Amino acid sequence: MELSNITENEKSFDCDISKVASLAELEEIRLKYLGKKGLIQDIMAKFREVPVEQKREFGQKVNALKNKIETEIENKKQLLLTEQINKEIENTKMFDYSLPVDTKTGSLHPRTIIQKQVVDIFKNMGFVVEDGNEVETEYNNFESVNVPKNHPARDMQDTFWLSNGELLKTQTSAAQNRILRTYGPVCKVIFPGRVFRNEQLDARHENTFFQLEGVVVGKNITVANLIYFEKAMLKALFKKDIEVRLRPGFFPFTEPSYEMDAKCPFCGGKGCHTCGNSGWLELCPCGMIHPNVLKMAGIDPEEYNGFAFGLGFDRLVMIRTNLDDIRYLNSNNLKVMSQFKTKM
Amino acid sequence: MFISMNWINDYVDLSGIEVDELVKRFNLSTAEIEGVEYKGKNVQNVVFGKVLSVEKHPESNHLHILKVDVKDEILQIVCGAPNVYEGMVTAVCKVGGSVCAGKIKATKLVGVDSFGMCCAEAELGIGSDDEGIMDIKEPVTIGADIKSVWPVDDVVLEIDNKSLTNRPDLWGHYGIAREFSAIFDRPLKKLPVANLEEYSNLPEVEIDIETNNCFRYSSIVAENVNIHHSNRKMAIRLNYAGMRDINLLADLTNYVMLDVGLPMHAFDHKIVDGIKVIESDGNVVMTTLEREEHTVPKNAIVIADRSREPVAIAGIKGGLKSGISDETNSVLFEAAVFDSETIRKASRAIGLITDASQRYEKSLDPELTPVALARIIYLLKEIDSEAKVVSRFSDCYKKKYDRISIKLDPKFISKIVGMEISKEFTIKTLRALEFGIKDNGNELLVEVPTFRATKDVSIKEDLVEEVARLYGYDNIEPKTLSFDAEPQKIIPSIEYEYDAKLMLAEKYNANEIHSYLWNYEDFNKANKIEMKSYVKLLDSSNAGQSGIRSELLPTLLRCLDENKNNYEDVRVFEIGRVVSGLDEENMCIENKKLAVLFASQKKTEFELFTELKTAIFDIAKNIIGIDIMLDKGETVKYMHPVNSFRVKSRTDDYGYIGILHPEVKKSIDKRFNVAMLEIDFEKLANTKGYAKKIKNISKYQAVDIDFNILCDENLIYADLAKILGKFKSKILSGYSLVDIYENKEQLKDKKSVTLRFNLSSFDHTLSGEEIEKFRTDFIEFLSKNNLELRG
Repeated sequence: MELSNITENEKSFDCDISKVASLAELEEIRLKYLGKKGLIQDIMAKFREVPVEQKREFGQKVNALKNKIETEIENKKQLLLTEQINKEIENTKMFDYSLPVDTKTGSLHPRTIIQKQVVDIFKNMGFVVEDGNEVETEYNNFESVNVPKNHPARDMQDTFWLSNGELLKTQTSAAQNRILRTYGPVCKVIFPGRVFRNEQLDARHENTFFQLEGVVVGKNITVANLIYFEKAMLKALFKKDIEVRLRPGFFPFTEPSYEMDAKCPFCGGKGCHTCGNSGWLELCPCGMIHPNVLKMAGIDPEEYNGFAFGLGFDRLVMIRTNLDDIRYLNSNNLKVMSQFKTKM
Repeated sequence: MFISMNWINDYVDLSGIEVDELVKRFNLSTAEIEGVEYKGKNVQNVVFGKVLSVEKHPESNHLHILKVDVKDEILQIVCGAPNVYEGMVTAVCKVGGSVCAGKIKATKLVGVDSFGMCCAEAELGIGSDDEGIMDIKEPVTIGADIKSVWPVDDVVLEIDNKSLTNRPDLWGHYGIAREFSAIFDRPLKKLPVANLEEYSNLPEVEIDIETNNCFRYSSIVAENVNIHHSNRKMAIRLNYAGMRDINLLADLTNYVMLDVGLPMHAFDHKIVDGIKVIESDGNVVMTTLEREEHTVPKNAIVIADRSREPVAIAGIKGGLKSGISDETNSVLFEAAVFDSETIRKASRAIGLITDASQRYEKSLDPELTPVALARIIYLLKEIDSEAKVVSRFSDCYKKKYDRISIKLDPKFISKIVGMEISKEFTIKTLRALEFGIKDNGNELLVEVPTFRATKDVSIKEDLVEEVARLYGYDNIEPKTLSFDAEPQKIIPSIEYEYDAKLMLAEKYNANEIHSYLWNYEDFNKANKIEMKSYVKLLDSSNAGQSGIRSELLPTLLRCLDENKNNYEDVRVFEIGRVVSGLDEENMCIENKKLAVLFASQKKTEFELFTELKTAIFDIAKNIIGIDIMLDKGETVKYMHPVNSFRVKSRTDDYGYIGILHPEVKKSIDKRFNVAMLEIDFEKLANTKGYAKKIKNISKYQAVDIDFNILCDENLIYADLAKILGKFKSKILSGYSLVDIYENKEQLKDKKSVTLRFNLSSFDHTLSGEEIEKFRTDFIEFLSKNNLELRG
């Protein structure tokens, strides 16, 4: 075995690797040179035959050749892999990324979606969220919230009276007495619910609709507090600061009583279709809880006071969703209802 | 209610304040203004003209060609009015001017030139008569602009009646003027009235009140009334305020009502010369001024003459017979206050809501009767100075309201409002609103004026409102509250309601609906659905249905029915309330329920049932945190007798799940397979859930082996599981269902249940022998229990 054999092998390797075009061919060459029965192994096997004085140089050269072959094969391999991937990429067919997708999901009732938003903001401010019945006693619905015996609201035409002497609650305030008794005299509670009025149906009137009521009772509660919470609620609902105005109103359960208007979030007060060109949306009757209401709930009005507000929920839902007929809200019309999905 | 600002300016000088500002402050301080109308804005260049000649139009049956003198020129005007005559003085809109309908141009009418228009009062917006052009009898200057003489220009505010419900004092211009005076700090002028003392020597009108529902009845008689038409100013004001001018006496009563807020009535004194205020026995039939007949209900108040002959329905409408006409020249004026509730009930019962009844419903102040009479006499004499008062102020004051005094700590106002409001502001404001005030230093003694004391103001909180509204709510800084930070109570039925709804919508593609509380008996009957109602509505005319529902599913079936032609799949749910019974005190037992309905034309009943079962198990396990199960048991008649089941937990029974009864299915739509469930949601939500803990896993390799177990085709999985539960092995960590195979030909009356057993140990890797031993033990166990492996 001579040094020239090494040079020959190197030349032959150079020649072989230059012709390689595939990973399979490369593997053949790897086996040919580096395999157990490969040429490098052959040479090593004949190391004994090398004259002593050449052994050192011979060894170095064989090692150098082996390293070179290994490196070049690895490099070639990487090159071929890259080529292969590039080819694969080149041959890939582009997706029709514009095809429509079906994000099919069911839907929540728009009241549910908006109620969640309102409820969340009040929960964040430490309010309890309460539930209430739909059937109520005359006492809870009227007497306990200071609606006197002869008040027009008690007339047959406004209230759905039931055959057992009870009634369908005409206002969420029907729950006030129970709630104040349960949580008072220091409490912050909101209670959404369905209420009923014996009215003819049309696009703007329903006999079954939603309200959301809130009460806060404590010591030294003020009108300034009431305005604060109303504004906070509106901000959460319309996702921006809303200017509000309070006007004198009249409700038996509060004194003083107010109508709270919100500056129309759609036109900013300039007047539009939604606000009937007035620039204001009448959203929320409210006021300081009437001393009689507190008294009837066992709370001393000289020591404690509070405020209450009732949000006309369906009107808000109509404004937010652009619904043009309130009757859809109680309808089975899936063509409308299924459009709402679960967020808004 | 319409408010004329010209009229208001009689009582309070608001000059220099823009209309926008008037509206804004009134809105914030008093009541809602729904609209502002600029009367007379479109009436331009309308002058008085005299018709010099009237010629028939050669080409038209009804048109005339007029020559009209408007001082500077004589205009040729083609006119269609039937009432035109030579020498008539009328209102003429010149070319270039305008009337309510628009601009007037020179034009040709059926071939004849016309330069201007003769106007009817309706065309000028100052009256209701549109049948002929104005026939002006009062002395006017030909050629003068009508606006130089008549108050055509005015700003009219429309106030929302509802926002005046509790303010009887605001149902007249003087009361509104008082508000403006307080809001803008301008003095309120005294109401010009006649001095009734002058007549105290004259005879008295006989008045008897025989009911407790009349507070006060006052009257005065005038004779020799020879002018029968109101002056133009009064007529225009009445029209702008939404009424019509009729004749002087009728107009006067209306005018005073719009002025001081107390309805009045005028009787022909020749017919009515004494008054009895009585209650109807239910048989009184009255023909009103509009010639309509009304039966006056029992207990309603009737005004009768001395012979007890009814002449008016008190506080609502006058009778025809005793009413005044254009010729009446002696009149008995009524100023009275009746009980608000009595009037309201009577007016509703008769179906007659009038300007008078609307006002009486608000609880008017009996102290107003002398004011109204003094005012009407003043106005009558102003128009007809020859008219003569022939009776004294006659008065029967049966029932008085108590005077109300309120002790008020001025600091109380700041305390409630949350802003510092000075004592000086409080005193000034209350005085402007005519409250009497005695300043005792730390305490004010506030005397409520009678016109606010009938029901509106009685406690110190009412005074807070008075002061705060004039302080302006827009001046109050919003402030948050300081409260003790503490966790708030969670109500599970509300807390979990949203989560359950969201899961049904997002994971099970169902649509939430809200349906009425009514029991749709016709629908149910037509589709053989039985549902009981435990209570009924007493008046169901607006609901259409009289019963209250006791279950939710019939409503969802109705929803399916209404949508079946638009969809292949209908998946709906509702969380709603039902009345499921009456307790021993006859009170409603109400439940908050969840109902879900999955219907499909493509899926099998078993597939739908399984989806629905998955949904409710999902809600129970992953929202409430409890394990539930199904069990055999009675459900409802509209469900399938075999395939409907109870939904239970270990401790409770929540409701039922199943497929639709074949008969109901056929009736609604046989194309649809339907699975549905109804459970007591509140009960489910209130079931105490478990604290979720994770299961630790073995660090050694686990092994899965499948067994195909052959068993009777009717053996339900739960019973198979019960058997397998008896098999004990240390290395068995659990098993799960892979597949159930049924094939009549191959397996006959058996089915093959493929179960995957998971074997593992916590302290070593399982050896082949251990696994093999498990297999042999298990097969032996099966054969002992009359089960075998398939193939």
